[in-house]
Amino acid sequence: MTSLVADSLVLKRGGATLLDNLSLSLGATGSVAIIGPNGAGKSTLLKVLAGIDRPLSGRVRLGDRDLASLSSTARARTVGFLPQYFDPHWDLTVQELVRLGAERSDRLTVDAVDKVIDTFELGGLGRRRWSTLSGGERARVLLAAVLVVDPPVLLADEPAASLDIRHRLDVIGTLTRRGVDRLSVVVVHDLDLAFRFFERVIVMDRGRIVADAPAAALIDDLRLDSVFKVRFERLRTPDGPLLRATKDPP
Amino acid sequence: MRAPAHTWLMLTLALVLAIVVGACAGHDWATPADLFRAAAGDQALRSRLLVDWRIPRVLAASLVGALLGLGGVVFQGVFRNPLAEPYLLGSAGGAALGATVALLVPLAMPQSILLPLLAFAGAWGATVLVIGISRVSGAFDAAGMLLAGVAVAAILGALRSFLMLALSDETVSLQIVLSWVLGGVQTPTWPVLGLLALISAGCLSLTLLLAGRLDILGLGETMAVAFGLNVTRFIAVAVLAGSVVAAAAVAFGGLVAFVGLAAPHIARWLVGPLHRPLLPASALVGAIIVTLADAIARAALPPAEIPLGLVTAVAGGPFFIMLLARRLRT
Repeated sequence: MTSLVADSLVLKRGGATLLDNLSLSLGATGSVAIIGPNGAGKSTLLKVLAGIDRPLSGRVRLGDRDLASLSSTARARTVGFLPQYFDPHWDLTVQELVRLGAERSDRLTVDAVDKVIDTFELGGLGRRRWSTLSGGERARVLLAAVLVVDPPVLLADEPAASLDIRHRLDVIGTLTRRGVDRLSVVVVHDLDLAFRFFERVIVMDRGRIVADAPAAALIDDLRLDSVFKVRFERLRTPDGPLLRATKDPP
Repeated sequence: MRAPAHTWLMLTLALVLAIVVGACAGHDWATPADLFRAAAGDQALRSRLLVDWRIPRVLAASLVGALLGLGGVVFQGVFRNPLAEPYLLGSAGGAALGATVALLVPLAMPQSILLPLLAFAGAWGATVLVIGISRVSGAFDAAGMLLAGVAVAAILGALRSFLMLALSDETVSLQIVLSWVLGGVQTPTWPVLGLLALISAGCLSLTLLLAGRLDILGLGETMAVAFGLNVTRFIAVAVLAGSVVAAAAVAFGGLVAFVGLAAPHIARWLVGPLHRPLLPASALVGAIIVTLADAIARAALPPAEIPLGLVTAVAGGPFFIMLLARRLRT
């Protein structure tokens, strides 16, 4: 069980403040969506939580350890990270990519690689090269490579953004299901997906957390309108409310 | 994907064949039977010449080629750029400058120690400079690095030419330096050849230690960090290792262009992009290329010898243009 706690994170780059004294506490389980307009600092926060970028000040605690004090291999085993864009420099095969992901763990057997290839239905693709895969196949391969070591914490930066709706639902489903017994934090651009599938939603704007609440409670919050600078109509449907944005000022 | 056994068998056979062709080639062509007689201990002058001069030269050429193949893989892996190679990125130029200083400037150390040391320092310094320039100027991509490399190589080349003009009063030493610049395998004595073989084996083991991490680095910096690689430290270590390899290649073979570029590409077609099979495969391909190029250098215009670097540049230049064109199109 690994909780993730951020304490007063500050990160500036080229005069811009990307994270502005941001604190956040995430339990050992749960599915959490991070939403916010472009430039809110969502991706930056995720990279700092994953230990990929270092904050200027503040710290991240993973369980009872300081993230910065962990060895990079220990960190890589505990925190899985799915980037927004991924394009390997060499044209590896599906099997090679998943194996590289598996090398993070020193305890993995060959079975684990085969198992994750089964789970993500990549059986027929093992020898295919990355350049020949479709967007949906690529997303599944990346998920398999990151999840092959079964990390207790998963941080995903909108990995489904460019996929068609069916593949998008597949990926989001995989990510939220992990929230049942692990921690799954996902930057989501599609607000309806965020509110429909995630337990908790965090709203970011200009490097800060503006709102942080259970999804059901947050959808009626008018701060959404002001953060996204639109007017949201809350449409009631049998499956719950849906957001429809119009460009009128809030 | 594991390379099938027949690929390795084919590469090894091709190298053996190249070595036999290389040993036969020259302004005085030998037959395989002559080679066999010489190797069996025949004391005739012709056989002695083959054993003492031509065969060590051919083996040295193949080892220099193997080093260039290894160096190319390391540099392409570190820069994650299939156009990177020691020659283009200035490290070979740095090594040549170091070697020029060793050859022309009277210093307190014997040349046999000084030359490899300065060649290494030059190779390493030039590579660090190229990385530094492209990082600072925010152009840490293929084009930025190539431009920085070309600029550094040009500056180093000018420095080297200046040193050659300013410091060589005896024509002999100038000729030695010139044969370096144009690339050429010197004929080693058998003990020196043994040393070169040891160095090459050491370079292969050294670079194989980096193979797994070069694969991870190839996923891009963000993913590499996410997968637990300390990217900054690893790049520093790998550049150091690549510089050792480039310096060794330059110390024994001078400036030989394009082999470090072509060998990894051909090897990637044969065994795929994973570095553990790629390193030995590229070493074999590099060895084959340089052995054959050296044979052409010795046999094309008898009794004169064409500098090896000119042969590889003439053959490799079009290869580079082809790669560049293909890359720009995608």
